[in-house]
Amino acid sequence: MFETGVSGFLSSDMRLHISLTFIITITASCGTADSRKIRGISPSYKRFYRERKSFLCIDGSKMIPFEQVNDDYCDCEDGSDEPGTSACPRGRFYCTNLSFRPHYIPSSRVNDGICDCCDASDEYNSHARCQNTCWNLGQRERAYVEGQMRTLDEGLQLKQQLIEEGVLLWREKQAQLRELQQVAEDLQIKLEEHRRKKHEAERLREQTLKALGAGDSSVRRENGSSTFNFLDSNKDGSLTVEEVQAKVALVHDEERLLSEDEAVALLGGGRLMDLTLFQHTLWDVLTKADSVKIRGSLDAAGRVVAEDLEASDGEWEATNQKKVEEAYDTVNMEISDLRKKLTIDYGPDWEFLFLNSQCYKLKVYEYTYTLCPFNQVTQRSTAGADVSLGRWGMWAGTPHNQYSQMVYESGEPCWQGGSRSTTVTLTCGTETALRSVREPSKCQYIMDFQTPVACQPVLKQRGIHSEL
Amino acid sequence: MAPVLVLWLAVSLSGTWAVDKGNFKTCDQSSFCKRQRALKPGESPYRALLETMELTNTRLTLQLINDNNKVRLLLELYRLQGNITRVKINELKPLKLRYEVPDVLIRDPPTEPLSLLSQDENGVVLSLGAESQRVIVSARPFRLDIMEGREVLMSLNSRGLLAFEHLRMRKDTFSYKVTSTVASVWDNIKRVFSSSQADPEAEKKEETDPAKQAETAKEEEEKVEDGMWEETFKSHSDSKPNGPSAVSLDFSLPGVEHVYGIPEHADTLRLKTTENGDPYRLYNLDVFQYELYNPMALYGAVPVMLAHNAQRTTGIFWLNAAETWVDISSNTAGKTVFGKMLDYVQGSSETPQTDVRWISESGIIDVFIMLGPTPKDVFAQYASLTGTQAFPPLAAVGYHQCRWNYNDQEDVTSVDAGFDEHDIPYDYIWLDIEHTDGKRYFTWDPHKFASPKEMLQGLMDKKRKMVAIVDPHIKVDTNYKIHNEIRSRSFYIKNKDGGDYEGWCWPGSAGYPDFTRADMRDWWASMFAYDQYEGSMENLYTWNDMNEPSVFNGPEVTMHKDALHGAWEHRDVHNLYGFYVQMATAEGLIQRSGGVERPFVLTRAFFAGSQRYGAVWTGDNAAEWDHLKVSIPMCLSLGLVGISFCGADVGGFFKSPSTELLVRWYQTGAYQPFFRAHAHLDTPRREPWLFGPENTALIREAVRQRYTLLPYWYQQFYHAHRTGQPIMRPLWVEYPEDPATFALDDEFLIGRDLLVHPVTEEGARGVTAYLPGKDEVWFDVHTFQKHNGAQNLYIPVTISSIPVFQRGGSIIPRKIRVRRSSSCMMHDPYTLYVALNPQRTAEGELYIDDGHTFNYEKEFIHRRLSFANNLLSSVNLAPDAQFSTRSWIERIVILGASKPSKVILKTDDGQESQLEFDFDSSMSVLTLRKPGMNAGVDWNVMLQ
Repeated sequence: MFETGVSGFLSSDMRLHISLTFIITITASCGTADSRKIRGISPSYKRFYRERKSFLCIDGSKMIPFEQVNDDYCDCEDGSDEPGTSACPRGRFYCTNLSFRPHYIPSSRVNDGICDCCDASDEYNSHARCQNTCWNLGQRERAYVEGQMRTLDEGLQLKQQLIEEGVLLWREKQAQLRELQQVAEDLQIKLEEHRRKKHEAERLREQTLKALGAGDSSVRRENGSSTFNFLDSNKDGSLTVEEVQAKVALVHDEERLLSEDEAVALLGGGRLMDLTLFQHTLWDVLTKADSVKIRGSLDAAGRVVAEDLEASDGEWEATNQKKVEEAYDTVNMEISDLRKKLTIDYGPDWEFLFLNSQCYKLKVYEYTYTLCPFNQVTQRSTAGADVSLGRWGMWAGTPHNQYSQMVYESGEPCWQGGSRSTTVTLTCGTETALRSVREPSKCQYIMDFQTPVACQPVLKQRGIHSEL
Repeated sequence: MAPVLVLWLAVSLSGTWAVDKGNFKTCDQSSFCKRQRALKPGESPYRALLETMELTNTRLTLQLINDNNKVRLLLELYRLQGNITRVKINELKPLKLRYEVPDVLIRDPPTEPLSLLSQDENGVVLSLGAESQRVIVSARPFRLDIMEGREVLMSLNSRGLLAFEHLRMRKDTFSYKVTSTVASVWDNIKRVFSSSQADPEAEKKEETDPAKQAETAKEEEEKVEDGMWEETFKSHSDSKPNGPSAVSLDFSLPGVEHVYGIPEHADTLRLKTTENGDPYRLYNLDVFQYELYNPMALYGAVPVMLAHNAQRTTGIFWLNAAETWVDISSNTAGKTVFGKMLDYVQGSSETPQTDVRWISESGIIDVFIMLGPTPKDVFAQYASLTGTQAFPPLAAVGYHQCRWNYNDQEDVTSVDAGFDEHDIPYDYIWLDIEHTDGKRYFTWDPHKFASPKEMLQGLMDKKRKMVAIVDPHIKVDTNYKIHNEIRSRSFYIKNKDGGDYEGWCWPGSAGYPDFTRADMRDWWASMFAYDQYEGSMENLYTWNDMNEPSVFNGPEVTMHKDALHGAWEHRDVHNLYGFYVQMATAEGLIQRSGGVERPFVLTRAFFAGSQRYGAVWTGDNAAEWDHLKVSIPMCLSLGLVGISFCGADVGGFFKSPSTELLVRWYQTGAYQPFFRAHAHLDTPRREPWLFGPENTALIREAVRQRYTLLPYWYQQFYHAHRTGQPIMRPLWVEYPEDPATFALDDEFLIGRDLLVHPVTEEGARGVTAYLPGKDEVWFDVHTFQKHNGAQNLYIPVTISSIPVFQRGGSIIPRKIRVRRSSSCMMHDPYTLYVALNPQRTAEGELYIDDGHTFNYEKEFIHRRLSFANNLLSSVNLAPDAQFSTRSWIERIVILGASKPSKVILKTDDGQESQLEFDFDSSMSVLTLRKPGMNAGVDWNVMLQ
């Protein structure tokens, strides 16, 4: 596409003139004229830049004379003709960085007055006075990497322990669950027994109630026979003094047991009373209800409440059942609690399980933050009360390592809607601690949480530079 | 947060996302506006007393009398250099001085002689010098008509709405009764009365003679209305010790259907008629969540209106800093096409006319009539009065990253690193109020910003800068140096009872320094010295917010009008406060560098003349598509009245933008003069890389387009600074004869040569841009496709599209090596884009200086680039200026070219060389490869 030809020679003379001054400048700083050609290229790319008559853009889009490589004018769409200058918008410059890590920088950082490569190779034609800091950086990096490695080794050991502990803990929890389930089963059997009894009693009560007639409206129309049957505890067809004493009371003093004389009086002076006599004597007295009444009833005779029927044995039965029910509920709650905890993903080896019952605090400026893993995150200001920054949500790491991040959601509501949430990033360290807390946006918290269980063997690959 | 503030916010935040209109006055609730608006056009009580006329070489004076109350006014009329007429009206003998706005005019405007052409008992005719321009002063009723030939350009008081509430004594006060009685004695000699007589008797007389009293009152026609001597709004009372003092005047503009200006309003570029609602209001207010498309007042006020038709552009500058309302009516507004046709058929082809009426609460009438005739003339005329846009440091024209708030130094460092990681350039990172120690400006939070210099040095190492906020409200705290110094110097504004005025703002209880005082401003400026403002460095600049002033617990969230600035009431100076704050701050930044470095100060409140001190933004907008759209007319309106350095918060301040809206906003903001992203404290983070790689790439591309065009932008700022021409221009400014351009406000020009039609519709598949110019062509800057002018062009768009066109006939310099910041690009080479017009010519400029000092006054490169007869040349426009650059010309792209056989470069040393080139025949684009000459020298390139 480019028009070369006769015209090109004249202009290249001109350019030679320019280039010469250019080269002189470079020679002063870099030593060899050739360095212009190879500047900014990684060893693996050198094969593309062998001195020839022409240069083919690496994307194959264009062929240019070789003099136009690194001549500070962008010819190739992919920027491959200017690896050593800032001419191409999409170009990149290779910092060799001997004694440190080599890396690429965008071409736009070549000769911009800012030292980017530690070997200062990017600022070969600028006012910036860049020192070669690679050796120092390399030392520091090595020290850092060594430190990291030590941390990692130590961390991995600790992690192994924690994994072992985790497995034990997991088993313990499982055993606990089984135990609880056994208790629950026992309690359930008991409870069913109680329920059966209760059911029986209820059936009885309903029968009696039926016998006593169906409710208030019928009470007064009743001729007294069902009341008689009620009073006739032993169902022998006649009322005795004992039976009267048991179920009839004074209207104004229900607590007091009737005396034998009083009972006898009510029985019409005799010790026994049959239904016919009852209908003509005592029934009238009871229906008027101005002196005596059936024990436990409030007004008219015959209004018998359930409690009377259940009597003493029913009462005992009820409290007992309640206790069993309570125990059963408690156990079930414990079970579901434990189950819920056990359904949380504690990592492939249950290595995060030990965090479950722990809390970690960190003070940042005027706030104290508390992270209780798998439970909740809170914030307390020096003055105020606890504010929830979220409850356990889920693991939210990378697909590669989903255990690198936790999310806590649905904390206290926010000013402008929504609720507080916290993202916890887990990093490898020799101890388990909360390292930092930030709130980059309102109500969105970011925590850095360090723990040996976050240590991953893959970390060992860090620091090894791979070329692209 | 303090409880009161919380309550205020809670009230404001509850309910819908919209302004609580009840917090702000309507015209009806502002007693002077209601009073003045109640006057109906018709019989003006004012009469010119021609016998009082005095004509000197520089001015004409004449008394006016109000026949209803016999109060006399003094009219002063000046012919100013550059085709401007100044009309001043004040009371002849006011009870006390009335406020005249100081410091806004850059000098006493130089006058030109007026001459008397003719005079009779009905009036006088004066010559305005050139072009057969005359002023006719009619006596009864008083009226001024400015004529050119037989054409009336503008009439004053033609509807008889001149009103001047003279200062008076309050009637129910003792002293008034004395004075008025004495005066009536003076007037009516038959009532023998001696001034030596006891006052009580005078009072008694008044009491015993109610008939007489009534008569006097009738004669003066002074109805005491509610709100004249006291006014309440919501729970706030305005004591008004000076009583009514409003001024008002009407202007008729025959032949005019389009008026513009009087910012700041969130409204269309073309002003609407106001007959069916409130007038446009000018009163600097901190409006929480402002609504769009209404005449409510906002943060700033520039009382300048432009009137335009295909023949002429004129302007009215109403120099008054008090609360002001502007009514606009038109005899064609509301008429349908059919109605207009009917007029024509019936022969009643009434000339279209726009009538404007200005009403201010106090001060005097001081109006500058700028007679054009072209838009550029009006800009030059206005610039000759109030000055031009401050020439900002180049970096300020780059991209600004702001948020309320970057939380601590670590946050700043990581955001800064984010830009490098994602290869997005930026120049300034901003800190909002939370960076301070408890909202005490000039301080740093001791924990979060413990080592500001370290942070600033880190930015400086990357050739980047920072802006920190300094608001004018000062925390009342005796442990705060700034407060103590202001108090001890008695620099605070006083309340009506003479104590320091205190209001509620971010820090809680706060005082407000009296920036109208020159000594206060000097002191304030001195606080920016590096040894005063601890932790500051030369790459720290300033942002003045809340300078309306905002007073959370004040009437309409601002200061009580009866607060005192020395002898003047806040009522008189209100709209000037923000202007002065920015002035003092900019002066501080200049002084700290010993006068070497150009300042950069952003302000929210502004007035006429604020352009001299820095940039403005459109305040607390919202992340809504309509807010994106309205950013265009809002900045266009500001540009028309001299304030070119304008922008809107990219992304929208309140609420959280959708990703699409954010991307579109970056694309729009990249082509507006002030390019800053900002976000409310309660919104989620929105740094450009938080929306996935595709959106990061879209935003990166928009910002990069801005940076490639920095040479062109900077050149526009240079011109704005030199001439007062707006940078962001409505199309009609360049195509004043094309009515199709008059109401366009969804597209705009940058300078003359770039036309931008940003995509501001959600889910847009295309936009229709009007390309102006009957004989012109426009080139799509991305595809180089050529389009004819004078057409509506439908442009299909995708999410990456920013429709931008370069005018055929122009040459635009770019730097296409986009780097981390503008400073990093300082020495980079230029690519020239030469877009040929149908005549195959083009012109452009190249402006270069050091980018940050005042040395530009002498040291710069300014060259004319022109293409004609196949010859492209660079000629020095400023041979006396000294500057050398390392930048060179790396590429020349000629759009609309044909293929040459060879291309020859000739440099100033006589050397000739042949250039390589590439020709794209499908788009007719000729690219000259690496001509290589220095950008500061003479050269020419010949296509053969």
